Amino acid sequence: MHEMSIATELLEIILEIADKNKIDIIEEVHVKSGVLKKIVPDVMDAAFIAVVEGTIAEKAKLTLEEVSAQVRCNKCKISFKPEIDDFLCPVCNKADVEVISGNDMIISSVTGYSKNDIEKGKKDED
Amino acid sequence: MKINVIKRVLKANDIVAQENREKFKSAGLLAVNIISSPGSGKTTLLEKTIPALGEKKSIVIVGDLETTRDAKRLEPYAYQVTQIQTGMSCHLYANQISESLNDLDIEKTDFLFIENVGNIVCPGEFDLGENAKVVLLSVPEGDDKVAKYPTIFRVADVVLITKIDLLGVLTFDLDRVKNDLAKLNSNVPIIKISSLKSDGMDKWMDWLKEKHNSSIGEQAKFVTE
Ligand SMILES: Nc1nc2c(ncn2[C@@H]2O[C@H](COP(=O)(O)OP(=O)(O)O)[C@@H](O)[C@H]2O)c(=O)[nH]1
Ligand SMILES: [Mg+2]
Repeated sequence: MHEMSIATELLEIILEIADKNKIDIIEEVHVKSGVLKKIVPDVMDAAFIAVVEGTIAEKAKLTLEEVSAQVRCNKCKISFKPEIDDFLCPVCNKADVEVISGNDMIISSVTGYSKNDIEKGKKDED
Repeated sequence: MKINVIKRVLKANDIVAQENREKFKSAGLLAVNIISSPGSGKTTLLEKTIPALGEKKSIVIVGDLETTRDAKRLEPYAYQVTQIQTGMSCHLYANQISESLNDLDIEKTDFLFIENVGNIVCPGEFDLGENAKVVLLSVPEGDDKVAKYPTIFRVADVVLITKIDLLGVLTFDLDRVKNDLAKLNSNVPIIKISSLKSDGMDKWMDWLKEKHNSSIGEQAKFVTE
């Protein structure tokens, strides 16, 4: 259940991004989630809903995009896509690899608006 | 308004872990992160390991959801022991280690054992700055656990099969464990241990001393006796 730790840090980061970019309400957060992190989407959603309560991200939609794993054999230097329980190199048949992708959780975008924009929008409508 | 960014989550933990790593290095300390399910024999192993390494050569940080029981068990053997009560958290964070280090005299000892919270899922995701992850699998847990919890076994620097005194009593196929490990982490050393009967302790000691020498380097304070 490291989803809770992830959600807590995720919130901190998106609040910081919102602050820097003068966003008052966060509408959507897009996260690229490596398969090797083994995030359970339902658990992640629940954790996110729990941590955003009472913040400017309260109504935000969390979108998780799965990123597949890619590893490189330390001996043969070839890259391949492992299975979660099988990291054997197709050439030397040994599991001794460096993970290239699929081990990270990366926030790729934050969408939201500032209250000024809305007020401006309203004035424009008038 | 859409803001495109590239921000890695859990980066904060990794930054503190790296600071810890540097502290261990400059103190000439081998930091070992001990990970297993609850009850696999982490504390019992340390009760045997710490005295065998020599009097007062080790410090210990123990993480448990509640109580200071394990710290009390290890106090007689270690130079210093601190217990972190993690409450709801199922693993230790790097900053908990860095805070504990303020209370510990890391210059005076050669080994830091971190007994992580009993759990073989989450601790694998949180680097503490350790030199090695030691993963225990006890015979009563069953020989299918490597395949069921592949991630932690894939990142292990050594796997200890513990409670091998029970091999005759329970059905446990060691070859199955070895085959599953070979598919994840082909070069990982596997050491069979019984803390109860002191079996396999010599191999474990050799591994620790060798790891200390290779990680800490030439000026290692610790000399293999
Ligand atoms: N038969 C046997 N029991 C052991 C061995 N090592 C530990 N135990 C028992 O396993 C239980 C849990 O051990 P403990 O060290 O507290 O596990 P931890 O939760 O991983 O720290 C205790 O009852 C120990 O006495 C061993 O080598 N053989
Ligand atoms: Mg214990």
